[in-house]
Amino acid sequence: MTGKPRLLSLIVEVTQRCNHACLHCYNVWQGGQYPSGELDTPRTLGLLAKALDESDCSHVTLTGGEPLLRPDLPVILDFLRQRGVRVTVISNGRLLDEAMTRDLLRRGVGLFELPLLGDRREVHDALSGALGAWDAVLAAMANIRLHRGQFVAVFVATRLNIDSLYETIKLAFAFGARGLMLNRFNPGGRGRQHVEELLPTVGQVRQALEVADSAAEEFGLPISCSIPIQPCLIDTRHFKKLGFGFCAAGSERAYYTLDPLGNLRPCNHTHTILGNLFDEPFAALIAPERMDAFTRAIPAFCAECARRSECQGGCKAAAQVCYGSLTAEEPFLHYSRNTVEKNFLGPLTRDIISSPY
Amino acid sequence: MPVSRRDFMKVFGISVASLLLTRCRFPIGVTCYAPLPPTALPDSTRDRLRLCWLSFNELAQKTIEEAKQGSTENTFSQQLVADHRAALDELVASGELTPSMADLIQEAYAAAVYHVWRSNAPITCYAPMLVDYAPTGAAILIQQASILNEEAADSVIDPETLAKAQAALEHDMAYYATSDSELQSLYDQILQDIQTSNQPFPAFEELHLELTPDAQAAAQFIIDLLTGK
Repeated sequence: MTGKPRLLSLIVEVTQRCNHACLHCYNVWQGGQYPSGELDTPRTLGLLAKALDESDCSHVTLTGGEPLLRPDLPVILDFLRQRGVRVTVISNGRLLDEAMTRDLLRRGVGLFELPLLGDRREVHDALSGALGAWDAVLAAMANIRLHRGQFVAVFVATRLNIDSLYETIKLAFAFGARGLMLNRFNPGGRGRQHVEELLPTVGQVRQALEVADSAAEEFGLPISCSIPIQPCLIDTRHFKKLGFGFCAAGSERAYYTLDPLGNLRPCNHTHTILGNLFDEPFAALIAPERMDAFTRAIPAFCAECARRSECQGGCKAAAQVCYGSLTAEEPFLHYSRNTVEKNFLGPLTRDIISSPY
Repeated sequence: MPVSRRDFMKVFGISVASLLLTRCRFPIGVTCYAPLPPTALPDSTRDRLRLCWLSFNELAQKTIEEAKQGSTENTFSQQLVADHRAALDELVASGELTPSMADLIQEAYAAAVYHVWRSNAPITCYAPMLVDYAPTGAAILIQQASILNEEAADSVIDPETLAKAQAALEHDMAYYATSDSELQSLYDQILQDIQTSNQPFPAFEELHLELTPDAQAAAQFIIDLLTGK
């Protein structure tokens, strides 16, 4: 035992700047009161060194904003490589031309996460808030595969694109994606302004899961549904080929998030700042007493549910950023249960999985 | 950038795991109506060590099964790593290995086990899978080629991008078109390059490998172990 907290992964937001304006963007600094700015290169490396010195962490995900907008990204990657850390980069792909792709792969990027929001450029570009986004991300995918890199495609399921899921999976597969992350739209950041426009219904999500389950088998492609889906809304056990997850905050599988100024948060969706890593040791920042309010929060609606410990009501960070409270019902539950509850759930049978399956 | 001997051993272990999982086949002399004899427990320490290296398929299966049950306990990985370490310790005690070599071999094995486990565990929210380059199955490549051809016919995707995607696919197909003897020569050449010069390893083309005698000996030990020398 080293006494250091063990982390499967650490998320580092290296910049708040972005060259896209995604309608579904969950970045906490979009439209809210959140500290802005970023550290210079030496301070950033100092921050990373402290994080790695004070934790047992072998995998870092660099994200933003758009991380490729930092001109010192190669320096950061070299540093992480020297520290023996595996690196994933979450990017919109816009700046991943062939030379940049080759350089980043050479510097040790093990995996890219790239959005693929549709099989047609109009849809992808509209959701990205940027013309040319679709062409750029497909080119990025081709560049990565050409130079023996790895990427997973990320499909954010919204009302605008959910009908094109099958064709999008097929396209990601053809370009060599090693997996697909099927994330239902989870409002936060700029996305809060587009809830009505983007949030899919339970029926749409269920239909999408059926499509994904079948496509996962057809293409042999791992598909994970990362944003929690409440079992009282959809019985996910029906979808044998898909992976599902629930909030891991507070556990070893948590993905603590460092912002560009050194503030540490329980995850990348919440604006809760546990403290600044320059001021305190990592272990102190994630001590149970700091995390308690976050990890224990659960909506009153879920109080009697037998699966509340596992599901936790869904994404409590989304509840927090949308409705101001970790114990509020997050938007997917909030919008769905008004219609779903009376159809599928009796008032005292919330512990029963009661989807049509 | 120079690569440390520990990093080299991790890469080496992962490469061995990839080879064992993708292309290497261990001939089993079984014929119709002549079932395999009962599997004997490995009686020597080296046999037990070798068994650890030949358990990657089982690890992959168990990881997938575990994930289906919603668990990420990863108990089999831990058991394998512990068994491997115990066998190495015995070889150190008997004087067959130096402690530093044993540590390097363990480094390679632990990295290989992690690689296999993580490559087969499902992706989770913001904690994506970590995979290293390996061509995918031939049937998949054919399916991908077919879809890319459809896309080309639709003329929606930028032709330059499509050409790159097809070029990458063809590279992977060439791998599968390689005969076993050609492939063995390729691996031999790669290993020789790593051990004797700064020739680039394909997936790590820009690295200058500076191997210590310890690391070379540890790598050779693993090769000998797996080839039964």
